[in-house]
Amino acid sequence: MTDITRRGLLKTGGLVGTALLSGGLAGTGFARLAAAQDDPLYAAARKEGALTLYWGSYEQQTMEAIRDAFKAKYPGIEVQLLRQASQTVYTRLRLELQNGVAECDSLGTTNLLHYTELKKIGALAAYDPPDAAMLPAAFKGLDKDAMYHVGAISLTSINYAPGKVSAPPTSWMALLEDQWKGKITTGSPAFSGDVASWVVAIRRKYGDDYLRRFGQQKPKVGQSNVDTVTDILAGERVVGSGAPFSYTLTQKAAGNPIDVSVPTDDAILNLGLTGIPAKAPHPNAARLFTNFLYSKEVSDILSRNFWPTLRTDVAWAEGRSLDQMKWFRNTGDDLAAEVAEGIAKWKELVR
Amino acid sequence: MGVISTSSRGAEARPVMARVPVVKTAILGAVVLLLAMLVVQPFGWVVFNSFHDDATGAWTLNNYARVVQSADLIEPLVNSLLLATATAVIAVGIGVPLAWLVSRTDMPFRRSIRVLTLTAFVTPSFIGATGWILLAAPNSGWLNVLWRSLAGADGGTPLNIYSMAGAVFVCGIYTVPYSFTMVSSALDEMAVELEDAATTLGCGVLRTMLSITIPLAAPAVIASFILSFIQGLTLFGVPAFLLTPTGIPVVTTKLAEFYQLFPPEIYLAAAYCMPLLLVTGGLFWMRRRYLGRKQYVTISGKTRAGRQIRLGGWRWPALLFALLMPMTAVFLPYAALLLVSLTRAWGQGLSWENLSLYWYWWAIFGNSETHTAIVNSLVYSTLAATLCVALGTLVAYIVERRLMTGASLLGAVATVPIVIPGIVLSVGFFAAYTRAPFNLYGTPLLLIAAFAATFLPIAYSHGGSILKGIGPELERAARSLGAGEARTFLSITIPLMGGGLVSGWFLVFIPIIRELSVAVFLITPKTNVMTTLIYNAKDGGNYEAVCAMSVLLLLITLLLVAIARPLAGLTGARRTSRKTAEAAGVPS
Repeated sequence: MTDITRRGLLKTGGLVGTALLSGGLAGTGFARLAAAQDDPLYAAARKEGALTLYWGSYEQQTMEAIRDAFKAKYPGIEVQLLRQASQTVYTRLRLELQNGVAECDSLGTTNLLHYTELKKIGALAAYDPPDAAMLPAAFKGLDKDAMYHVGAISLTSINYAPGKVSAPPTSWMALLEDQWKGKITTGSPAFSGDVASWVVAIRRKYGDDYLRRFGQQKPKVGQSNVDTVTDILAGERVVGSGAPFSYTLTQKAAGNPIDVSVPTDDAILNLGLTGIPAKAPHPNAARLFTNFLYSKEVSDILSRNFWPTLRTDVAWAEGRSLDQMKWFRNTGDDLAAEVAEGIAKWKELVR
Repeated sequence: MGVISTSSRGAEARPVMARVPVVKTAILGAVVLLLAMLVVQPFGWVVFNSFHDDATGAWTLNNYARVVQSADLIEPLVNSLLLATATAVIAVGIGVPLAWLVSRTDMPFRRSIRVLTLTAFVTPSFIGATGWILLAAPNSGWLNVLWRSLAGADGGTPLNIYSMAGAVFVCGIYTVPYSFTMVSSALDEMAVELEDAATTLGCGVLRTMLSITIPLAAPAVIASFILSFIQGLTLFGVPAFLLTPTGIPVVTTKLAEFYQLFPPEIYLAAAYCMPLLLVTGGLFWMRRRYLGRKQYVTISGKTRAGRQIRLGGWRWPALLFALLMPMTAVFLPYAALLLVSLTRAWGQGLSWENLSLYWYWWAIFGNSETHTAIVNSLVYSTLAATLCVALGTLVAYIVERRLMTGASLLGAVATVPIVIPGIVLSVGFFAAYTRAPFNLYGTPLLLIAAFAATFLPIAYSHGGSILKGIGPELERAARSLGAGEARTFLSITIPLMGGGLVSGWFLVFIPIIRELSVAVFLITPKTNVMTTLIYNAKDGGNYEAVCAMSVLLLLITLLLVAIARPLAGLTGARRTSRKTAEAAGVPS
């Protein structure tokens, strides 16, 4: 039964892909709309009439833009967006599962462990979004059972105040130089998933000695790594470690005196994931949205908001791309334990 | 401190029973049922959770064992108790004299001070903390920069907001409104015969205040001390912003870490709240011991006159003291927030080119969610505050007049919710209200019930401290003239409570409108509220928007207060006292 459905869906997806392609070639909104109208998945989603997104990846503004683009392309589906921090969204979904409530159609959070856990308890539904074919090769087919997919690519780098720093640190190692003592701001791995990823990666690269020396630099430790931008803009500190790449560039574009420095010893890459709950009340709308994530429209929105795009044929903002930088991503089966250990070491060595 | 009583010890505050009390029984039943649904059930879930293992879901005592044994978990508890005690001392130390000055003296600008105190009250604590970070961060804080420009570059950093002292200061000034409102409404409703007697016997102003007025207001002072203490225990925003950078953990930041872990340790978090409950329970027990044997009845069948104490040469120094709170809690931080909200990109600093109303435009028109959120916030807060005050006052009346056996147990139940930090309570509400038979998930009723339950303790303590001041003679008179219990309550007690009820309503309404963490697992896209939007903007680092929305939230609430203020003057008790005062030739 599942097999038949899945095959059917894959076929549907293929149709969507072709429809989108022809729509794109025709280049008119009308053609695109007409193509969407013919899509059986859209027809089924439209019959469901609603879609509820639980998303923690991307900030409110980008997420709303994605939602609005979806509504414009697929009229007749009422979209509800719950945008909260990733861990909050996940905890909420677990509470709903425990209490027999099914509200969520599409989950998007920044922690792979959420999905491996949900998959283990049979709470995810499989779906192969056909448009995911355009993803960068490294992020295709993350789960062999197609229970979850890449929803966001997030980079952690260094940021700094250009007016106050003549030559910014160009590597994580350079942050340990004397000149940055008392000048660094960072987030806490106990509050921020991105900083936790950074701690795990840096321990893999340089061991606990790095954390010890980093602690001796007397960094200011906020909660989220977004706080690094705040500290730099306020003038409290001049260099940010474990800093958010996309968000820093957004602030730069808004006219704020801040910039990123991509470390030569690897930007840390963290994947946001997305999946459809097994009991999603609007499964077809959920599939339609999941596939929509890999459309050109969404990647254009991402590019405009300084996020890495989800398609190789859509360039990032400022002509950047993944190929231009060295990056590193934590993989492995025991990440949960490694994160816990990293946080404990951080508390011991940094503060 | 002496025992003060205007009625004899034998005259117990217990109206005589008469007739078969059908209405009374129905109302008592409804109150008990509401308390069971709103409080006992969610709290029961929190307790139930605390005995379960996060990983396996099996019964266990391990969570409690960890709380008691791990030094990692004991340190935050100690820090929290320290923060809470200091917060309560500051709140009462500033709030009580301030309330006396505003309610009882001829200090200039009394009304403005009242409004400014409310303004501080409206401010969510994380907004206040943000304002103070802009002002007093060691390197970039504007006050420190100003100091260095005056004292030279080696002037050092006189202020460091990232410290325990900084957190105590910010928690303290934003908690003053609790003690101020509770004590000033007690003073407003209090008769002045005893004060007059003291003056006649040659007591000075200060001595009268210290030995008569403040002791008479003791129920309100103590209740506000306890509430301020609880506030210091359960605040998340201030310690998260100000203590995380110094590495000082407190209970609420530790709880946030439990939720941040994978898998989240929700059940451990529930167990971790129980020591807070124990400490607060101890405080309430002490209050009972202390207040139980004394009486504070000042409102009785006798006439009252609102009489002002003339401060003479002390009027202006008193105003200087009174301005301390608005200055630190409102003017300075909001000046900082306002400046940031008026810049297009705040990192560029202040310049004409950077000045813009863009973020206000964005907050009001540019964001489709803001409209719904503002309306939701107002509607939910209004309904929840009304439900909360109605229930809290009823419970207080039942407890004070001992209308049923086990009345004090009702009181204890009504006090529990506020002690549990919101993020943990939210899980309890989720379990309690989303299952059958309620199935409230996704409905406004879920949030209204949760908000009303969370702040029930404020309504209850506030109602109780007012009722302690109202003598039962008038109620007895009504009863002996044939009125039932319910009619007596409605036509005698409620009007006598008067303005106190209105201030009690605001005392609940305002915390609800700025509440964040209780709602965290309960809001849905359709029932989103303003504070979650502000927090999302903060989460996304959009400070200009955070500041603009905070200023808007403040303006909206102030507008409501301005509209509602005349209501307080319309109640019977106030009118009587004002008329009497006017008759006595005293300007009100």
